[in-house]
Amino acid sequence: MFELFANILLLVFMVFTFFTHVLEAKIPKSYTKNPYNLMPDVWPKVIIALIVICLTINIIKIIRKNKGNPEFTLKAFWKNSLNFFKSKMFLGMLILAGASFVIETLGFVVTTFLILFLYGLLLGEKKIWRLAIVSVVLALLLHIIFSGLLDVTLPRGTVPFLRNFALWLENLL
Amino acid sequence: MSFGEMFLSGLSAVFSGGHFLMVLLAIVLGTIFGALPGVSATMAVALGLTFTYTMSPVPAIVFLVAIYCSSITGGSITAILFKIPGVPSSAPTTFDGYPMAKEGKAGKALGVALFCSAIGGLFSAIVMFAMSSPLSKAALAFGQGDLFAITFLGLSILTVLDMDHILTTIISGLLGLLLACIGQDPMAGVARLTFGNSQLLAGIEMIPVLIGLFAVTEVLKQTNAKKRLSAEDGVAGTKGRVNTKMPSLREMWSIKWVMLRCSIVGTIVGILPGAGATIASFMCYAMENKLSKYPEKFGTGIIDGIAASETANNAATGGAMVPLLTLGIPGGNAAAVMMSALALKGVQMGPLLLTKQPEFLSATFITMIITNILMVVVAMGIAKVFAQILAIPYSYLGPIILMLATIGSYSEGGFVGVQVMVLAGVLGVVVKYMHLNSAAIVLGLVLGGMCEEHFSRAYLMNRANVGKALFGTPIAAVVMTACILMLLSPLYMPWIKKLISRKKA
Repeated sequence: MFELFANILLLVFMVFTFFTHVLEAKIPKSYTKNPYNLMPDVWPKVIIALIVICLTINIIKIIRKNKGNPEFTLKAFWKNSLNFFKSKMFLGMLILAGASFVIETLGFVVTTFLILFLYGLLLGEKKIWRLAIVSVVLALLLHIIFSGLLDVTLPRGTVPFLRNFALWLENLL
Repeated sequence: MSFGEMFLSGLSAVFSGGHFLMVLLAIVLGTIFGALPGVSATMAVALGLTFTYTMSPVPAIVFLVAIYCSSITGGSITAILFKIPGVPSSAPTTFDGYPMAKEGKAGKALGVALFCSAIGGLFSAIVMFAMSSPLSKAALAFGQGDLFAITFLGLSILTVLDMDHILTTIISGLLGLLLACIGQDPMAGVARLTFGNSQLLAGIEMIPVLIGLFAVTEVLKQTNAKKRLSAEDGVAGTKGRVNTKMPSLREMWSIKWVMLRCSIVGTIVGILPGAGATIASFMCYAMENKLSKYPEKFGTGIIDGIAASETANNAATGGAMVPLLTLGIPGGNAAAVMMSALALKGVQMGPLLLTKQPEFLSATFITMIITNILMVVVAMGIAKVFAQILAIPYSYLGPIILMLATIGSYSEGGFVGVQVMVLAGVLGVVVKYMHLNSAAIVLGLVLGGMCEEHFSRAYLMNRANVGKALFGTPIAAVVMTACILMLLSPLYMPWIKKLISRKKA
């Protein structure tokens, strides 16, 4: 059922995009003057049209394939959806999404510690103190290696003391 | 540049400065990454990118090629000891490798795997070196229509390779092409499909998307996995470590034709865009099973089976580099990551590259030669301490992979890059549940810009005549006809299959 809904959603999104967002600015007159130029909307519109055709066929195929399948019901879909939102994978997605937003403010070191620690717990690590210590050491090591040794610029954070700490770490090597 | 000069230039690229140490590090990393289940060769190359940001283009490709080749070989360790392929292309190695290990011949099985990997890799490196220069010179004479047809061929081949899921593969390729349209169009510079987000004007950040799809998606999938691998899961008596025994001269001689055939087929499959090492190893295993004088022994633990799989998957690595270096078309996912890494450094892959900068070819060649020899020694060492490597719990390894991925994405795209990576990782999971083909999406994304640009120019040069733009030259006509036949195969293949089965009956 998820596959069916995802295909339908994608189909609706494609139709919406076709009519509203293919071209988002006017084509320069100098370009339209030449009748042999391929207009910028043609290529994406052809692709979207092909996607819409293929998705329609795919939706029909999915419905036909699952006729009589007891799992192919709305009830089973809601149950599976609920299970997904309770799953470790969904929590993992939340941790990553959260980290991608706080990394600018907290900087690399703190974000790395949070990911290593929280994701480690999620993956079933029982020894919390060992995980915490390893997370701190690895966060510091990764920052020192990549920033100090390999000259890769890493986010230092916008919080003053975290920024100063990151600068101090970078100057260690 | 003569052969001798090319050879010397390659040697100096690999041995100058600290480059050799870098190659050695790449081989160790690649073999370990390859041996660890859940870390594919593409993921290994994507993670390797993180180390290349401050390197100049030639050392960067040297580093990534070394990781790529050795990770394919590393996969055989877990395939033989645990019946779990470290990389997907080692799956056929389990068919004979694991039964041999169960008979107490794990060391011999690993020795055959490493020896054949080296032979396959060396063969394909030589083919790549011999083919690339003439091919890139020939490609210089291609017109825009020809280039479009060849680029399009890369996408069309995917549909034939995944015959069971042709429709979803076509949808995936088209989605990749559409993603490549985001941002300003290549001819008029008009914004498309940005949904008002100014950060998308420059197009989708390729590296964060690739890292997200290949590294983050995999870790997310592993998060739900119930069981982790440990040394005790391996063959009884090995405890996850093994002393490698190289095959005797007699054994080597007995599998000479297997190695030769699989080297040739593996290299050819590697050249086909989208095919790669996994298809090569399965194809060659099946081929050798059919050609063998004792097909009934395949799957019971014979060295021929290991030789077929391991020679082929390593031969595919050199093959994959041919279209990348000569035409700018990646032969597989790992090559697509390498192409994006070099594009980031301002290197435009394509026919002009080897003519103007032949050091890319010579450095790749020498790296492949050195890697294929050294990885045998490194893999032997790693096999001895493999139990210790497996002892690293995934609760530490997974988050470390995520942080390496974050560094890679941040270095290329800043904070937006990290967000794009996470989004691509989540989308990778959705793609899996929708039964779409992530390799086709990546190929579409990587080739999309090129496809559109070549077609727009061919259209303009042929005065808006689509027929002439697509079929105007003999090369374009032949290649486009082949593409159409492949894309329409879902319509006529069932009919052909029915016809064949009727004849047989």
